[in-house]
Parts: sequence; C-alpha cells; structure tokens
Amino acid sequence: MKDNENRITHITPYKVLLEVLDSTYELANNILPENVLYSLKVGVEKIMRVLSSYIEKAKNGAPIVGYHFSLPSEYLNCFNIVPICIEGTSYFLSTLLLNGVEKYYDIMANYGHPFHTCTSQKGTMGMTLEDLFKFDAIIAPTSPCDCTIASYPFFKEIKNVPLFLLDMPYIHNEESFEYYAGQLRLGLEKLGKVIGQEPDYDQLKKSIEIENKVNQIKLEIFELIKANPCPIDNMFNAISAGTSIFISGTQENLDYYQEMYRITKERYKKGEYYGGTEKIRSIWPYMITFFSVDLLEWLNRNLGLSVLFDIFNYNFAESINTKSDLDTLYYDMARKSYQWPMVKQSTQFYEPFIEDCITMARDFNADCFIYTQSIACKQFGSIPTLLREALMEEVGIPTLLIEFDAGDERMTSIKTFKQKIEMFTSTLL
Amino acid sequence: MVLENDSFLEISRQINNPQVQAWQEDHKKVIGHYCTLIPEELLHAADFLPFRIRATGHEETDLGDVYMVRFTCSFVRASLDMALKGMYDFLDGLIICNSCDHSRRMFELFNAKVFNRDNFKKEVSRFYLVMPHTISDEGFDWYYNEIKRLKNELEKLSNIQISEEALIKSINLYNKNRKLLREIQHLRTLDGPKLTGSQALEIYMANSSTPKEYANKEIERIINELESFEGIKSAKKRILLIGSDLDSTFFTDIVENSDAIIVSDLMCYGVKNFADDVILENGKEPLECISKRLYYRLSCPRMMNDHQRRLQYIKDEIKHSRIDGVILQKINNCDLHGCDNMLFSHELKELNIPILNLDREFFQSDTTRLRTRIEAFLEMIK
Ligand code: SF4
Ligand code: SF4
Repeated sequence: MKDNENRITHITPYKVLLEVLDSTYELANNILPENVLYSLKVGVEKIMRVLSSYIEKAKNGAPIVGYHFSLPSEYLNCFNIVPICIEGTSYFLSTLLLNGVEKYYDIMANYGHPFHTCTSQKGTMGMTLEDLFKFDAIIAPTSPCDCTIASYPFFKEIKNVPLFLLDMPYIHNEESFEYYAGQLRLGLEKLGKVIGQEPDYDQLKKSIEIENKVNQIKLEIFELIKANPCPIDNMFNAISAGTSIFISGTQENLDYYQEMYRITKERYKKGEYYGGTEKIRSIWPYMITFFSVDLLEWLNRNLGLSVLFDIFNYNFAESINTKSDLDTLYYDMARKSYQWPMVKQSTQFYEPFIEDCITMARDFNADCFIYTQSIACKQFGSIPTLLREALMEEVGIPTLLIEFDAGDERMTSIKTFKQKIEMFTSTLL
Repeated sequence: MVLENDSFLEISRQINNPQVQAWQEDHKKVIGHYCTLIPEELLHAADFLPFRIRATGHEETDLGDVYMVRFTCSFVRASLDMALKGMYDFLDGLIICNSCDHSRRMFELFNAKVFNRDNFKKEVSRFYLVMPHTISDEGFDWYYNEIKRLKNELEKLSNIQISEEALIKSINLYNKNRKLLREIQHLRTLDGPKLTGSQALEIYMANSSTPKEYANKEIERIINELESFEGIKSAKKRILLIGSDLDSTFFTDIVENSDAIIVSDLMCYGVKNFADDVILENGKEPLECISKRLYYRLSCPRMMNDHQRRLQYIKDEIKHSRIDGVILQKINNCDLHGCDNMLFSHELKELNIPILNLDREFFQSDTTRLRTRIEAFLEMIK
C-alpha cells in the first residue's frame, strides 16, 4: 500500500492541478452569480471528477502514460492506465497558477532546451526533469510540429522513458490514413507490451462511441453559435479545449457537452448575449491565450467581442464505425486523428485551411479574425499574410495578427493583448 | 595558399553559375530542392539537374519577411527573399519535402507568391515529397512509394521512361562522386589537414550546384593538387562542427581565423551526405537501392527516433578525427537542431570534451559576439 501511495508522487503536477481546479471551482460556484462563467463551472467539475479518478488509479498502481494531445485520449482507454496529457498539464497549470509554470520553462532553458520551442511541452519537461512526473511510458504522433516531436526524445534520452512515436505523414489522403492506422495499431500494441496489458477493444469502442455522440452535440452547438448574438460565452473555448485534451472518451465529457448544449439552446431562444451587447464577432483560427484565459471573459464583458471559436473547437471528425472489424476501427481512428485540432491544419497544405477560414467567416457572420501566432508554431509562420489577404479579398474582413507565446505571458503580456485588440476593434465599430 | 581562387570553389559563392547555364543551353531542365533526402540519381537519370537551393551571400530578408514571421529560420526567409526578387527564376522545377516546418512551407509560398508573380510567365513544375519522421520498415515502404510516385511525375515531365540502365549509370556516377568526397574528407582529417573546413564546405556547395560529370572531374583535380600539398602544420585545435545548415563560410571562417581548424562535421552539406554509397542488390530495383541509401543513412534530427545513432557517430568521429572540441550551433529558431544539440550537450559530457553550444543567424553583419564566444571557447581547450 505504501508503495502505491508513493506512486502519487509520480504525478505530483496532476495533484496540484486538481487542487487549483478545486479552489477555482469553489470560488466560481460560491461567489459568482449562476449565469456568470457557467462554461467554466460545468466543465471544471467534470474535469475534476476524471482527474480524481486518475489519482485513485495511480494509487492503485496503474501505469502512468504520457501522451501528446493530438492522440485523442479516448484511444488510450483501451488500457487501464493513468493518461497524462503532456501539453494540457503545462497549459492548464499556466493558466491556473499565479506565476504560471514559468519556473519550469526556465528550468528547461537553463538545461539548454531552445527558448523558441513550444511551452506546451516545456512545462511538463521541466517538471519531469525535476522528477515531479515519473512516466512509465510516453506515446505521441509525429505531429503537429517539429518542436513537439523534437522535444519528446528528451524524455527517452534523459529520463529513460520508453517512447513510442507514431509516424504521421504530412498529407491528407487515403494512403496516409491507412499508413497511420497501422502506426496506431503498432504503437498501441507496443505500448501494451511495455506496460504488460493487452488492448481492451470493448473498452476502446465504448469510449469512441461516447466521442461519436460528443461530436454530434458539438455540431449542434456550432449551429447555435451562428446566431446573432452568439449564445455561448467565450470561456467555452478554453474549457472545451480542456475537456477534449483531458477527458475525451469519458462519460463526463459527454455530460459536459450535453449540459452546454442545453444552456446554449435556452440562451439562443431568449436571444441572450453573455456580457451586455454583442458588438463584434471574431474568429480565432489559431490559439487563445492559455496563460490567461480570463482575457476571454474580458473580451465578452468589456468589448462585447465574441470569440466564436478557436482552433481547438472547430474540428469535427466523422463518426468512427465501432461495429465493424479491427482494421476499419483503426482506419477510422486514423482519419479522426487527421481532423484533430492543430494536426488537421499542420499536416496539410495551406489552401484548405484558408478555404475553411473563408467559409467559416461567411457561415458564422464574422466581423474579423484575430490570428495569434505563437513563437513555437513554425509551420504556421508563413500563413498570416496569405490568410489576411484572402479574407480581405473574399469576405472583406480584416485580420489582426498578434505574435505571442501561448503559455508564457513574458513574451506578450495580457495588457499588450488587450491594447492591441482594443485598438483594432475601435477601427471596426 | 592552396585552393586560393580555385574556380570550382568560386562556384559556391554564386547561385546561378556557368555550369547551370550550359546545362540549360543544352535544353535540359534544372530542378531546385532544399533537402538532401531527394533522390538525385533519379533526377539525373531523367536528364534533370538537381540544384540545391542556397542563399549564399544574400544579406536581406525584407520581401521574405512579408510572408514569413520573424520566428521563421532566417535562411528560409533569405531564400524566399531571393526567389521573390527573381533570383531563382532560372529553375524549371521545384521539389519540396517536409524536411522541417520552416522549409516545407516554401511549397505553398513558391506556388502562391513566387511563381504567381505578375511578370513571371514560366511554367515551373512542382513536386511535394512526404517524408516519414521516423526510421522503420513501414516508414521505408512509405518513402519508397513516394520516390516511385516522383519517378512517374518526372517521366511525365521529361517525356522519357527512366530505364534501369539509366538509373544504374546515374548510381555509378553519384557513387564515384561520393567516393571523391570521402577522399576530400580523409584529407581533412589527416594530422596535417590538407584543407580547411571552409574550403571543404565550398567544395560540397559547388558540388551541389553543378552536374556531377563536371564536379567529379573538378574534385579529382583538387584532390591531385591537395596531395602534393604538405598540409596545415600548425598546432591548431581540431574542431567537429555540428548543427544547422551553413551555406557560406562566414561562420567557419570565424572559427578558422581563430586558433582552430574544422576537420569534420555532422551537417547537411557534409559527411552524412557522402558517407555511404548506393549498393545495388541482387533482385532489387535500382530505385529501391537509391531509396534505401537515403532513408537509412546517417540521419539528421528530423528523424525523431534516431538520435542514438547520431550520437554514436559523433562519439566515433571524436576518436577517429582526434577532435579537441565540439561546436554545436544552430540558426535561431531551428527547432530540430536546437533540440538535438541540447541532448548532445549533455550526452557528450561523459567524454570530457569541451563543447560550445551556439545560436546564430543565417547572415550576421555583426559577428563580434560570436567571435568572442568562439575565441573564449578555443582558449579553454588545452
Ligand atoms: S503546433 Fe504550435 S502549439 Fe501546437 S504543439 Fe506545435 S508548437 Fe505547440
Ligand atoms: S536551419 Fe533548421 S529551421 Fe532552417 S531550414 Fe535548416 S532545419 Fe529548417
């Protein structure tokens, strides 16, 4: 028992995460009126439930397996493990802790890791270097970007963690779906051998069926978001990024989306806007400020600016067929992986991304785009001008470009963000 | 000084050179590429000249910066700048692979902005080659399929069937080229090296910008010249240079103008490019043999599951070339070399060898800081 109790120290940051989520939830629930920060209240409660169950599992000796967020976490539900999202941990802690996780970025910088790589890995890398995480294995696709994949060998070479990299060709076609299906299967089988478990396909299918339903509900929510005013709060973007990354494939994720749909539908019927009057409808084709998600609330309340969605929310995959054979299952899982946030955009050419943006601008009646270019995302470093030109030419709407680090306020502060957006939007009104 | 004002080395300081012009005057096409993972033998067999895109000597990125944010590698921005200014208009084709996140976007940018310029009328063929990020049997099958697809497209473009004989002829020509470059490498690593790292780099660059028929003759000539040279006898410190691509001698000159000589490397233009030959195996298509060499050869950091092999190469090379110090360097914002270099900097500690880990720009007008750090490092070496 003592040994297993000790295993909680292998996932110390998850314990911290649970504690800060708990106090955030307590605060939001007890102090704020019912209709304030409602996405946060609904979502955080669900995430907490799942995280608590992971901590229990860790106590009971389940293997601790790190994964990159672009491996939909429901795929790991074929094992009895504690799945740790490497990127989610960095970014959720960066938003919830007072000084973010800057300390761990700096630990990695002092260790020689390049400053221009993604903070979404860097935080967890620093925590692992400090032995706050002790992984039994790590599994990740070779996407969405160089700095992600190039960061992962650190865990293997410096911390001796068995690492499974699933090769994901940077092109969307039948061959790549087939190939990646093979990589998924091989990767999960190899992971199973290392942790001494066989993939439980019944369990996997159950999780996938849950996500099939989630996808349907998301589509319905997005239909409602098309309405003026937008019936959902901006914070929905941050929280659903969190649920997709941490708890996809669980009943709690389905509960979250069902509840959000119910609330959104009611607000839609009443024509309610969150935070006064909707003045500007914006699309963020890339990321929000994970280091400070309260910007979303500020935009709603102070500028009447809706963030209709960001990169983590506008990806919809076709349902996965769970009734057929294993090959079909893996093929569908691979296809879905190619639709996953960030993977979708970074593993294909620009044209479909730009076309998507143009279509979305029209469908959602957007007034502007706000493009956040993170220092780490080099694969996106050559799109802002092309996108800006295309949106102006095709839809006649402007794009604001802000360079930042999605997880580190020291590069572009939230104050600067607010100033830039205020100046930009004043030209729109 | 041996090789001073050598006409072959001079080619490395130009982009479009007389050899390229002569090739095109012969109504043959030139295909640009960024990455050594493209099968040059295949292009050659279809009568194309593979030309490695460089930005040597180009000091601006102003037009490139319009389309690429400042976090993009300055080499890539400089080469885009050149292309937007028409300096790569001589290309008849372009092959881009997803070598790194920075350079792979040149496919879209060349499409949208370079070949789409108002005053640019030429039809330039484009190919995108999808490379796996790991080395495995399945990855090889994927890569080989990509090469077969490229072959089909090249056949359409050239209107010729690429025969086995033509491929074998090209393989022999390229194997000879690699053998000559290995001789150059051998001359670098002698106790009295017969050429500097800068000179070797210029030979590699010129080699990547000219037809191999010509390059082979030139390199043979250079080897003959070098053989009668007694070698560099001073007690310079012997450096192994690792990291991001260099396509001018600005950095190697800083090192070598101090008290050091670069005798070996693990760089894009360097040793890994010619360390091994295409081996024609019984019962295997020549194209498969070409693909095998490229895919399984000593990798660069874009192959994410091969770090240990690169580390082993470095350890072996330190012994073999009697290295006094290792310089790890990268262009700012280069994620691939940055991450690999970080690991090397820790892993090589066990060898007790002095290591310097540096960031630089592609072009740097002020090199004072670099020079100071390099000089301090060299002083540290006993
Ligand atoms: S795509 Fe960007 S945010 Fe996503 S992991 Fe890569 S660098 Fe980080
Ligand atoms: S130096 Fe690095 S970032 Fe630049 S092209 Fe080479 S691999 Fe890519």
